[in-house]
Amino acid sequence: PADTRDAARVRSAPAPITDVARLCVCDLLVAQCDVNCCCDPDCSAEDFSLFTTCSVPVVIGDSQLCSQKAAVYSLDVEANPPERIFKLIDQVNPSIFCIHAANYEQALYLKSPEIPTPENFDQLLEKFGGASFRAEPDSWNLDTDAQNPPEANETSRYEYGVPVQTEDAFLRLPSPVVSSWCSDANPAGFLVNQATKCIRSVSVENCDSIQALSMLFYINSSILASVFQVNITVQSIAVQSLNGMRTLLSSSDVLRLPMFLDELCINAVLGVNYHITYTDTGEIIEAAAAFVLGAISKETLSIEQSFEISFTQENTQPVPLSGNPGYVVGLPVRAGFQPQGYPFPAAFLFAALALSSNKHSQLTILQSTSTQDCLAAQGARAPVLFGYNMISGCKLRITAAMKCQPLAQTLLDVLKGQSFPEYVASFGNSQAQDVLDWVPITQLHISQQVKSPCQIPVSLGIEVKWTKYGSLVNPQARIVNVTATITTTTLKQLPSGREKIIPITSSVVFTDISSPAEPSYKAWPTINIKLPFDFFYPFV
Amino acid sequence: NNSSQLSSLPLHILLYVNGIYYIFYFLATLAMIIYKSQVFSYPDDLLAPDLAVLFLMAILEVPRLYLGFKGNLTEAEAPLGLSLGLTVGSVVLCVYLLQWQTYVLWADVLLNAVLLSAYGLESGLKVTAIAAFVS
Repeated sequence: PADTRDAARVRSAPAPITDVARLCVCDLLVAQCDVNCCCDPDCSAEDFSLFTTCSVPVVIGDSQLCSQKAAVYSLDVEANPPERIFKLIDQVNPSIFCIHAANYEQALYLKSPEIPTPENFDQLLEKFGGASFRAEPDSWNLDTDAQNPPEANETSRYEYGVPVQTEDAFLRLPSPVVSSWCSDANPAGFLVNQATKCIRSVSVENCDSIQALSMLFYINSSILASVFQVNITVQSIAVQSLNGMRTLLSSSDVLRLPMFLDELCINAVLGVNYHITYTDTGEIIEAAAAFVLGAISKETLSIEQSFEISFTQENTQPVPLSGNPGYVVGLPVRAGFQPQGYPFPAAFLFAALALSSNKHSQLTILQSTSTQDCLAAQGARAPVLFGYNMISGCKLRITAAMKCQPLAQTLLDVLKGQSFPEYVASFGNSQAQDVLDWVPITQLHISQQVKSPCQIPVSLGIEVKWTKYGSLVNPQARIVNVTATITTTTLKQLPSGREKIIPITSSVVFTDISSPAEPSYKAWPTINIKLPFDFFYPFV
Repeated sequence: NNSSQLSSLPLHILLYVNGIYYIFYFLATLAMIIYKSQVFSYPDDLLAPDLAVLFLMAILEVPRLYLGFKGNLTEAEAPLGLSLGLTVGSVVLCVYLLQWQTYVLWADVLLNAVLLSAYGLESGLKVTAIAAFVS
């Protein structure tokens, strides 16, 4: 009984309807009349009298045939009540290339799909079971690389963007996908510096069992590189307390795992910063991770984790370029110092510039703070971005008790910063070794009033003159001249008890001094005709 | 003067016109097969027989016309008989292209009908000529 029932259950797809009199596209409701559908067999004459128009006026076969049957539906609104008229006519296509006869039946109809049976199910699944399929199923292989173990010669050399492979799968950089929640399936691409932040939901009581909060999750797999595997070492661990203060631990070799203690979960991973070192042939030789561990309080339902990965070539110091070669608008202007002990210009050629003390060797300007008090805002600097004119300032409250000289020095520090650079890079990719690629900063002093014993600087204006350099179709920005102007004013001695507020400003202005481009053309080729010297032999 | 010349002038004219018409017919049918293969669904296993029939017909046409001319001009019945036999083959292939091709367009019908009528007329004239030569 079982197999006969199976045999009976093998159905075939319903035969396609090709008779135009029975085809009705607007008949959507089963056993009910569709409104304004004149071809619906479920409609009676009373229903037709309520229609206003026919949504499907004609049903025809393939219009490429020379003569085809057409079913024409129309409403006779003149009659009372309105009635539907159905006509079956032969429509003639007068084209000379119309099909008179087609001996290939499937030509004009869509192919019926194969019905899956237990016999052909595997073959159909293989052909059509993926996310996409092609006409040639044998050449298309939809497996992901994570399932097949990669061969040794494939992992030796990485190319830009290729996912960094580890023992089990890929080096994971959790990142937000679609929403802000962390997804652990994002692989890190080689040479793709990324920084991501995402939210992870946590239950603080079981925080020691949550894998993504433990340091081990991020360093346990080793990266596959050429013939050996590179283990991920722990570079440093910073511990962040509940109020946000971070302390760098002195010993980073002890693995700290999360645990639930005193209503807090300590040693939970709040941030990972991977540093991968590679050779110039594309082989990874070193990998280190810097962790930020923190404490989560019991009421927290979700924490934000931040991840970053950066790639450094071995034996180089990473310096982000501000353009290659011309400056790119929006990238910071690079600056540096002349190294000590080389006062003479001749020695310039052999000395490299030391980059300024700003972590990223940038020219910086005073950054306005919310308090607007010059003396309270210590050290807040903003980098000068190429092409963006900036102005910032603060307010200085002068009391009678302030002494002139220390005040002038403090203001100079506030305006110029701790170490104001002496040179600015002419191109975005100027190297420190090429001293001639750096433009010295010209310093000017302007006194607003007559020279008097007490002058305090009140404004710093940096004017950067740049020009367009290179070809007409792809001009590169090049800094030609930088002038820093300090304007000083006299500080009048105040009567005791009074105080005065003066504004201190600093500004950066970029001026384009490019000369108009001159299109130049290649010189016309000269025709160099010279007769050989014995051309007129034997007459000459 | 009919007794001194048995060659049939109408047959000669018809063969000549047939030759020119056949060149046009061959090119037009080939172009239409290419058009059909682009516009309609024309699988390779149906395209091959149609093209084979067309080229076979072209190959048959050359000796058919040559033998027809030769037989008529030399007033010999053997080449003319052979040409008649080849005409039968051409008629069969023409009927295939008219009726059993994968797609028969209206232009196909016209071209093949004209060719069939030419073949029919030719066959009639050849039979008359053979009868004249034999007797």
